[in-house]
Amino acid sequence: MKIVSWFLAAVITLSLAFSVSANPKRIGYIVNYGTHEWYQNVIFGLQSRADELGIELEVMDANLDINKQTQQAEDFMTKGVDVLMMTPVNEEGVVPILRKAKADGTPVVLEGNPAKGMTTLFAICDYDAGFKAGDAVGRILVSRGESEARVMDVGLPLLSATVLRSLGFMEALAQHVNAVKVHELDGSGMIDSSVEVASAALAADSNINVIYGINDGSALGGLQAWRAAGLPEDDLVVAGTGSEGLAFLNEMTKEGTPYLVEAAMFPEGVGYTGMNLAVDLFNGVDVPEHKVTPTLALTVHNFAKYYDFDKAGQKRAINFENVANIPTETKCTKYASDL
Amino acid sequence: MNYIQKYLARGEVALGIIFLIVFVFFSFASEYFFTLRNIMNVSGQLSIILIASIGFAVLLIAGEVDISIGSLLAFVAIPLIQVMNFTESVTLGIIVCLLFGAMIGLVNGFLTVYLGISSLIVTLGMLFILRGAVYLYTGQRPISDELYSDFFFYIGNGKFMGVLPYAAIIAIIILVTFIYIMNNTSYGRKLYAIGGNAEVARLAGYNIKLIKLSAFVICSVLSSISAILLASRIGSANHVAGDLFEFQVVAAVVLGGVSLVGGIGTLTGAALGVLILAVISNGLGMLNVESQWQMVVNGIIIILAVGFDEIKRRKN
Amino acid sequence: MSKFFQKNETILFLILLLLLVFLSFYNPQFYSIQNINSILRSSSTVMIVAFGMTILLTSGEVDLSVGALLSFVTVIVMDVINISGSLFLGFFSVFIFCFLIGLINGLVRTVLNVNSLIGTLAMMLILQGSVYIYSMAAIYNTHLIPAFTFIGQGFVYNVPMPVIIMLVILPIFVFLLNYTRYGRYFTAIGSNPFSSNLSGINNNRYKLIGFIITSLLVGIAGIILASLMDTGQQGSAKGFELIVIAAVLLGGTSFKGGSGTILGTILGILILKVIDNGIILMSIPQEFQLVVPGVILILAVYFDTLRKEKNG
Repeated sequence: MKIVSWFLAAVITLSLAFSVSANPKRIGYIVNYGTHEWYQNVIFGLQSRADELGIELEVMDANLDINKQTQQAEDFMTKGVDVLMMTPVNEEGVVPILRKAKADGTPVVLEGNPAKGMTTLFAICDYDAGFKAGDAVGRILVSRGESEARVMDVGLPLLSATVLRSLGFMEALAQHVNAVKVHELDGSGMIDSSVEVASAALAADSNINVIYGINDGSALGGLQAWRAAGLPEDDLVVAGTGSEGLAFLNEMTKEGTPYLVEAAMFPEGVGYTGMNLAVDLFNGVDVPEHKVTPTLALTVHNFAKYYDFDKAGQKRAINFENVANIPTETKCTKYASDL
Repeated sequence: MNYIQKYLARGEVALGIIFLIVFVFFSFASEYFFTLRNIMNVSGQLSIILIASIGFAVLLIAGEVDISIGSLLAFVAIPLIQVMNFTESVTLGIIVCLLFGAMIGLVNGFLTVYLGISSLIVTLGMLFILRGAVYLYTGQRPISDELYSDFFFYIGNGKFMGVLPYAAIIAIIILVTFIYIMNNTSYGRKLYAIGGNAEVARLAGYNIKLIKLSAFVICSVLSSISAILLASRIGSANHVAGDLFEFQVVAAVVLGGVSLVGGIGTLTGAALGVLILAVISNGLGMLNVESQWQMVVNGIIIILAVGFDEIKRRKN
Repeated sequence: MSKFFQKNETILFLILLLLLVFLSFYNPQFYSIQNINSILRSSSTVMIVAFGMTILLTSGEVDLSVGALLSFVTVIVMDVINISGSLFLGFFSVFIFCFLIGLINGLVRTVLNVNSLIGTLAMMLILQGSVYIYSMAAIYNTHLIPAFTFIGQGFVYNVPMPVIIMLVILPIFVFLLNYTRYGRYFTAIGSNPFSSNLSGINNNRYKLIGFIITSLLVGIAGIILASLMDTGQQGSAKGFELIVIAAVLLGGTSFKGGSGTILGTILGILILKVIDNGIILMSIPQEFQLVVPGVILILAVYFDTLRKEKNG
């Protein structure tokens, strides 16, 4: 017994003496909606970095159940993870969890949206991502000699993040052309609901030349509704958001597709950055309140720099290095609190 | 011998044995499961569903059903948080919240009992109406608890002596009270009689309408108490709260042997149903089982348990 | 004449007419071919499944797993066609899968005697979970077979393909339910299971058939949805089961079994879909898409109850 404690003391002294910061051993991540492609890729990024650092990553899926998420946070604290990472089902809903974690002494890293009482957050800038897509679409319209953008916005008012994307998209578009939002829709972020609501909207007024989707499902749903209505695709520009999975790559690489722009958010890169942040927080390194992860407007011309796309095998591989080199905002232009 | 056989044939005993098997299994399978902290956490976690399940079971026994409770969970949290933020009084917030819950129960009950519309239809309609109303009123933004009072935080998150969650204490008090009511009062017997055979109950001179109405109110008010605990745990009135909650409650209560036909089942059974599903969910989480497998396991358990119960009932 | 007005279908028809008149005054675009096609297309998948649900509810049973199955079907059909390059194999595997699910749902009800509300709720959980065990990622159309795209997105003489598929299935069910003894059996089972059993009808066999028919219809609807989305998407068709059931109930089918008509179901669906469409056309907040159907459902069933009380 005595030997053991001596040994322990020696180890602690040594590690202090060399100020080798020991990495956390176990990290728990509660994802809000783990079956969604975006989050599968975030988890892939987290896991990639955890493997490199020799950290054990455990993932629980709240599956959009806010009550379940609070239970899972308690469960992770019971398991005694070194750092708790979570993407809130709803940012207000995690305030009591943060309070409990503080009492428990468990450091917490959030992904997505800021919440009261949090320490640090890693996330893309939603407004800026939408802005970059709007900017790219605006340039395409100008190059086509058009002076007006008539937009169908397949949105998701449920989340402030997605509202910010739509806002950024429209404001950037307005810098190039006269931008009019003809339809403002709630596609629930799902392709099937998006097809449905977009069909009805296009029936009411199909004088549209831009479809914007707050994620890939919404953009593709809008495009599918356009196709199902038998409308011509020559003058249309479609922009999606997220680079969630394979959907935009499949569509964008089709011959003659109107799907020209993707506001890429590189979920694998988000996860990779998040894992680094968690390690820093654990080691007591000074962490920013909001660690912004890169976003960029991707087109068929530049995506290969960031994604190695295997169309036949339906796989994509991210180039972590090139994504990490994308210049990133230190602070978002607009936050949910600005809405 | 005969006595033992009779005892074993009771649904609660079988459920109790299932519970024990599940509990022992997870205790061996995971080092984190059988710890005081985890057991206490689970007891707090399951109280939200347990309290609503008690009300739901009472209503089922009376021969009616309420599938609007998930939407109700989101709906009544709004007056709770709004009144708390406005008056800075947690007590007032809770009172107003319970009043709103009672009102919804009255409306559901009135439409069913006095206008004769099937309760499944009424509450299916109410499920849409309440959820839509929440979306409209909140603009799909959460209303946060600005008061930030310790008292409100502790209702759903605190532990008595740092061990036993207050939520669990509330749930146990409610459970014991209603078990007593159902078994030992004439009101309880009337609920069973009405759900079991309304015609006989009518001939016996019971005021069927009033008693059924009261069961609706009990269900809604108990669900509102669940709503208060949930609001405390998520620090807000949240438009996403309680989504699919009704399915979880139905599954637990029916697993506990309460029949959808009415007049059959006990609150002890319903509580065991809640307990079993909660322990499985927690245990699988402790073992790092993916949530999609948890759904499959839950589905199979419900079919097997209810099927087994039915087969046994037919034999008897 | 008075008998005509006492029919549930008449009232539903009047409600629908009122909605149509109101919306056309509000927005002339409402009567554009495009809009009518949009309403009919989005109604057709609901209708196809609702035909089966009408039979089930008439026989006193319900299937809550249709939404989860629908989304599973989109994944299977897309995946199998991608791998095999054959539409036939894709459809064949969908119908085999749906047949099995319907069979299990039916056996759980008839052999294990589990209330179908619970049994199919459990099946919903199982399907929702296992679709992700089958594949975590959405399945995209890499086969690019034009005929597949045509099913959901094509037109024949300005009529959308899904509507044509629905119209082909419709007469079969009208005939089956109204003009054959099988149809009358379903009603008999639902309205009085004991006497139908005594009169020699095998209740369980008919219930089993009802579950299988419903699942197979979900298979057809799922193929249409997959084509329309051009994707096999897990988690799609959220809340589909509630819309189908609400529409069937609105159409006058009783939850306690024993009554129900296909015409009522069709009217019920059209009313709900016209409301959905009108809310978007009038740019009313989409949240009303939840509230309005809820109110209408309660009102419609209330009037139905009133009328039945008056008549007997």
